[in-house]
Amino acid sequence: MITLIDVHKSFGALQVLRGIDLHVTKSEVVVVIGPSGSGKSTMLRCMNALEPIQKGKILIEGIDITDPKTNVNKVRQKIGMVFQSFNLFPHKSALENVMLAPMKVQGKSRQEAEAVARDLLAKVGLDEKAGGYPDQLSGGQQQRVAIARALAMQPDMMLFDEVTSALDPELVAEVLNVMKDLALGGMTMVVVTHEMGFAREVGSRLIFMDGGVIVEEGDPRQMIANPREDRTQKFLGMVL
Amino acid sequence: MDQLTKYYFNWEILRDTFPLLIRALGIVLELLVLGLIFSFIFGLILSLMRLSRFRPIRWIAGAYVDFFRGLPLLLLLTFIYYGLGLVGSRSGLRFLILDPIPAAVLGLTLCYAAYSSEIFRAGIQSIHHGQMEAARSLGMTYGQSMRYVVLPQAIKIVVPPLTNELIAMIKDTSLASVITTPELLFRAREKMGVVANPTPLTAAAIVYVVFTIPLIRLAARLETRQGRRRSPVDVSADIAGQLPKGAGPV
Ligand SMILES: Nc1ncnc2c1ncn2[C@@H]1O[C@H](COP(=O)(O)OP(=O)(O)OP(=O)(O)O)[C@@H](O)[C@H]1O
Ligand SMILES: [Mg+2]
Repeated sequence: MITLIDVHKSFGALQVLRGIDLHVTKSEVVVVIGPSGSGKSTMLRCMNALEPIQKGKILIEGIDITDPKTNVNKVRQKIGMVFQSFNLFPHKSALENVMLAPMKVQGKSRQEAEAVARDLLAKVGLDEKAGGYPDQLSGGQQQRVAIARALAMQPDMMLFDEVTSALDPELVAEVLNVMKDLALGGMTMVVVTHEMGFAREVGSRLIFMDGGVIVEEGDPRQMIANPREDRTQKFLGMVL
Repeated sequence: MDQLTKYYFNWEILRDTFPLLIRALGIVLELLVLGLIFSFIFGLILSLMRLSRFRPIRWIAGAYVDFFRGLPLLLLLTFIYYGLGLVGSRSGLRFLILDPIPAAVLGLTLCYAAYSSEIFRAGIQSIHHGQMEAARSLGMTYGQSMRYVVLPQAIKIVVPPLTNELIAMIKDTSLASVITTPELLFRAREKMGVVANPTPLTAAAIVYVVFTIPLIRLAARLETRQGRRRSPVDVSADIAGQLPKGAGPV
């Protein structure tokens, strides 16, 4: 579904990704961990062309998104993305946040979009908050709306970038539970997180990044219990 | 005191002048409405050009804005009306000869588009880039993201400074008197010549101020209200600020 081949990315002189190879298959839940600045967010942002890359190839369902002839707007419709800072549209209610893209991008009618949006809000446990504006919702609620908003485009895969890092501890679980349900439903997911419990329980593969490369990858439980690399061991020692 | 009243607040002259000025007010409103519409549309386009990915487009818009911000409006009006008019009548290029009102609207538009584009640009840039990214990641085009996500939020932010532009434009319409536009100041000066008394200027001042002072109050109110409403937005921007800024093309 997602294939990265020797991806290099730099900001000016700063090399952030130095040759990433990764293949994510259907219904896989790939959990990405690594120290701050190791390039996790950048890798995720490259996957839906929010950042251009300097070298390598990124294929989404076989389509090369680094090819300038590719319509990235089309490809992005297949990829849902959820951000650490929620990025809900503050001038729109929860319901309207979820409805906007289906109406404008997929050309759905208002009724159709609203039906889908209400379904999704119910799925993330927010049916009674549909009319609320982002600033009237808690962080956990906002993040669940953001997940519903991404799901409204019926994506084939979802990218999560530290989506619980900005949340108060007591709100983390409600968001992780929504993500867990999604994973159980067969969604293909790439999840950057420091929640090792989630990685162990839900992840089908764990990836440890450092310095712009993938240092180690493997089965989450095994890797957490017996990391092969020193750097992985050190990092796990800090977060566990 | 008598002298003062006689020359500046001459009741009879005031009474004669006001109806004249009220009629001239129609022209002021015409200049204002047309100038506002054209300059805001053009200003919005300029601001989008200045935020373009393409350097030449940014450069052209930037040069335009700098030039017209630096140019005295009075000079521009004189150039459009007398300068172009002269060339038009000498060379037979009749389209260069503009009537006073179109000439004034053109001058106001060219200058105020430059001013308002700076306001629009600041407004758009004050919207956190995460908004654009969220919209793009949903598959919206750049244009759709601007139209449905960024601009509606930016509009709220630019209303107070645009109100200040409106106030400035009301006052600047009086410059059109120099190119014989029969607006307020022009009529007041005409009347002053006839009665040999500056009271008509007092009357004009009253009319201007009656319009501008409520707007000045309104702008101040909008600014304080926005200052209060900004705080929750700033908090969420701070959270987002911990993320590295994605400055790449989205
Ligand atoms: N738009 C940008 N311009 C310049 N440098 C950037 C930009 N975005 C990221 N960087 C830099 O790239 C490096 C990797 O950033 P990235 O956000 O991918 O790290 P991360 O692994 O997600 O870290 P964190 O855990 O803190 O989120 C950092 O040094 C960061 O400062
Ligand atoms: Mg990050």
